[in-house]
Amino acid sequence: MQISSLLAIAPFLPASASPGSALGELVGIVEYAIAVAVIIIVFDYVFGWLERKVVAKIQKRHGPTYAGKYGILQNMADILKLLSKQHMAPANSDKPLFLATLPIMLAVTLFLVLLIPFSPTLSGSSSGFVLLVVLVLVSFMPLMIFVNGFASGNKFSAISAERSVVMLLSYEIPLVLVVATAAALAGGYSLNGIVGAQSQLWYVLLMPIGFVIFFIAMLAELERPPFDMREADSELIAGWLTDVSPPYYVLALFLDYSRMLLGSMLIAILFFGGWEGPVLPPIVWLLIKVFAIAFFIMIVRATMVRMRIDRLLRFGWLILLPLAFVNLIVTYVLLIG
Amino acid sequence: MSTRINIGPVHPSTHGVLRLVADIEGDTVLRVEPHIGFLHRGVEKLVENRMYMQSPAYMEKLDYAAPMSYDELYVAVVEKAMGVEVKERAQWVRVVLLELQRIASHLLWLGTAANDLGQFFTLFMWCMKDRDMILRLLESASGARMFYVNMRMGGLVQDLPPGFGGGARDVLDYLERRVKKYEAYLEKNPVFMERTKGVGVLGKEDAINLGVTGPVLRASGVGYDTRKDNAYYVYGKLSFRPQTRSEGDVFARYRVRMMEIAESIRLVRDALDRMPDGDAIGMPVRLITTGAKNREASASRETPRGEGIMYMVADPQRPYRLAIRSPTFVNLAALTHIAKDCRLADVFAILGSLDIVMGDADK
Repeated sequence: MQISSLLAIAPFLPASASPGSALGELVGIVEYAIAVAVIIIVFDYVFGWLERKVVAKIQKRHGPTYAGKYGILQNMADILKLLSKQHMAPANSDKPLFLATLPIMLAVTLFLVLLIPFSPTLSGSSSGFVLLVVLVLVSFMPLMIFVNGFASGNKFSAISAERSVVMLLSYEIPLVLVVATAAALAGGYSLNGIVGAQSQLWYVLLMPIGFVIFFIAMLAELERPPFDMREADSELIAGWLTDVSPPYYVLALFLDYSRMLLGSMLIAILFFGGWEGPVLPPIVWLLIKVFAIAFFIMIVRATMVRMRIDRLLRFGWLILLPLAFVNLIVTYVLLIG
Repeated sequence: MSTRINIGPVHPSTHGVLRLVADIEGDTVLRVEPHIGFLHRGVEKLVENRMYMQSPAYMEKLDYAAPMSYDELYVAVVEKAMGVEVKERAQWVRVVLLELQRIASHLLWLGTAANDLGQFFTLFMWCMKDRDMILRLLESASGARMFYVNMRMGGLVQDLPPGFGGGARDVLDYLERRVKKYEAYLEKNPVFMERTKGVGVLGKEDAINLGVTGPVLRASGVGYDTRKDNAYYVYGKLSFRPQTRSEGDVFARYRVRMMEIAESIRLVRDALDRMPDGDAIGMPVRLITTGAKNREASASRETPRGEGIMYMVADPQRPYRLAIRSPTFVNLAALTHIAKDCRLADVFAILGSLDIVMGDADK
């Protein structure tokens, strides 16, 4: 990989902005940032509400009904309540680290959403290595959780931090192998290229094993059950978020939902043809697929029993990793070689 | 080097106010020690200052997940002290109510245990919904949804309402289907199976030596059931078998409870069919009773959590001393033994499988 191509992602070069004048470039960047911010905020809010409603329906409850029509304002009320509470950090925490990690994680997540294209025209980076960058930064998250858990000075958070690293060890290699296979199929690490290569047939049909592995690894990455050992509420209270103050918890929720968007987008782009689809505009197709995947993850959340951390390690190395190799070899032999 | 962590008393899965002190090394738990007493109300002492019929309401709060069973246990020990015989129909009605209470308690257990395993409240909500149907039945029989105070010396406060049998049969048919669904849902889930099978094994010898009772004991392969071995009321006339499993692990405890639900459903149906007509009303409510004839009395009952025993030294109008052997207290003490060298996540699976109610353990 050439350094110059990595650097090419640093200045977001939106396809819509008119290259040439510095001012035009800046306006393009700002326009794009606002557009993506709106998408993120709308998704996070709708997803947060939808998850409550869907899980409630599965559990034969009503979910939020009081604030606004169908409880649509409930999350707003929760955010206001959390923000109105006192902010504090535990006395024996490493304050700078503890307070810095959550905003950094959120910033990295939002940066990743900026990098991933929403449609051929609404795209944050023209680099051919976006997928690699995304992968590297996604792997960065469990390490930040590790730092946050240890910096909080809480023993439950420290256990959560240890679990975070064990989880990283167990699912990261299969994840990378599957992504490498997809990239090999498409002939590059560009997300645009991967979506373009799926115009005939979705990759979920070409490599179903790879999809299953990627989906499982993404569930673990997003801290969704059955792989929510880091947050394990019945064991570790709230895991690495145990000592986080209420205003910071808003950040944590924002982070959680943004990662949901990120993960669903990655799954949609890598396996379900991204924004490809008839009649409707590309971005609508992408969001439909993203919500469908997010909906499925909600159902998994409501039905699964949490896995044990040592079992996950075994599962990752004895089942996911061999399957990832099988996927790689089968794909190479049948489709590429 | 081990780390000592303090789990509870404020913790999502300590079922109220239990405090566990755990020494862990990495993910391995070296030792867990339950610390109890946060819900101690001094019930045994409170009873001494009250007339006999003032206390059943206190007793129900001991085990708030199965109040009827303690209500009945206390009334039974008072009946023994006073030498009162329970009326024939009242015996049948009591069996019906107690078995319904057992089903309700086991359903609640299923939900909370699934929660402890990391199930996100789904099974909990389903079980609560189903348990509510039984609570509605018990409400129609006693007038209260949770704390019934339905037992009187020699009988009941009120007989079953007309139409109770039909309503109960409908509920039981529904529950039978639901419970089968829950079993299929859990046992087809590989994660649930590997979280429970072979986890928290309590051997037969250890189970006997530690004095655990109820489903925990029967899951270790001991077929001891007070309803059978020390039969009271009409249990001797009804045909049922103590449900046992030999493995002694979390899965066995789960299976035993599920089989007990099925067995209780059968028992209730049978009892409803064979119940004679007649009078079931107990002694009228009076503070001053005829007076206790026997100085000492004791009663033992199979509560949903195990064998509950009450031993009473009786003064004529109030207990001189009442001692309660609560099943949760003894079962919880076995946690230190069972949860040795297990994984941290297993501690909660084991704790859930013991079916603890802290009101019962702390008295």
